[in-house]
Amino acid sequence: MKKEKITCKEVMKHVCESLGENLNDEKCQEVRNHLDSCPHCREYFKSVEITIECYRKYNVEVPEEAHGRLMKMLGLEQ
Amino acid sequence: MIRNRTSNSLNLKPKLLKIILLMEETELIQKAQSGDKQALAELVKKYEQTIYNFAFKICRDKNYAEHIMQETFYSMVKSLHQFDHNSKLSTWLYRIVANHCLMMARKAKSRSFVSFDDDDENLFEEKYAADWNSIPYKDTENKELKRILDMAIQNLSPDYRMVFLLRDVEGLSTEETAQVTELSIPAVKSRLHRARAFLREEINKAFSR
Repeated sequence: MKKEKITCKEVMKHVCESLGENLNDEKCQEVRNHLDSCPHCREYFKSVEITIECYRKYNVEVPEEAHGRLMKMLGLEQ
Repeated sequence: MIRNRTSNSLNLKPKLLKIILLMEETELIQKAQSGDKQALAELVKKYEQTIYNFAFKICRDKNYAEHIMQETFYSMVKSLHQFDHNSKLSTWLYRIVANHCLMMARKAKSRSFVSFDDDDENLFEEKYAADWNSIPYKDTENKELKRILDMAIQNLSPDYRMVFLLRDVEGLSTEETAQVTELSIPAVKSRLHRARAFLREEINKAFSR
């Protein structure tokens, strides 16, 4: 029986499941082949990467006063 | 300071440098465990930024983040003698923060979160079409983007938020994330892919208006 081609939805799901994992198994190869030929899924893949990057870059610094209050609370102020 | 001498002036290979830093940290922990206040202060200073930032990323509120940071280090000081060096100190601290955040979220309860069915097909239905090239993701201070990111992640339940932040944002491995959250590896993977798809779709929706 001829194996059915992977669908865009399956590729999108796989991208969300496997990003950052080892992408060497047979399914991943199939996904990579699909990505090579499908601009829509490539765009989706990129958008998931951008989503992660946005959250990675959104950082806050400990305010100086909060640091002081922490050290005081722990009895570690100098 | 020992850290500066080893990391900056000797031009060591990254792997070797990592081992040396780990040895230095082990020494600091041992000193702190035997009552050395200076070593304890060094450990707090080393991790306060990470802990505060992580707590903020979960609760998206600077006052809560400070409160959680204080609770976390108070717990650390109280139970550092129990730390057995079987895991990294950072993993141990992440677990303490995670517990405090989850406890706080359970107390708050008033908020409702998005729920996911076993069948998550609708997560991959594309109802909106944003131009991702126009999203100012390189501008880290863009207020509109920050507002959208805050709003999107707050619709996720803290359990899902935690997995996404640990794995994708803090860069822990799947195994470490499972260790911190006390979930199985398949459960981590399942929460992660749903969280990624959901957040991506929320941003997509916000920028397609």
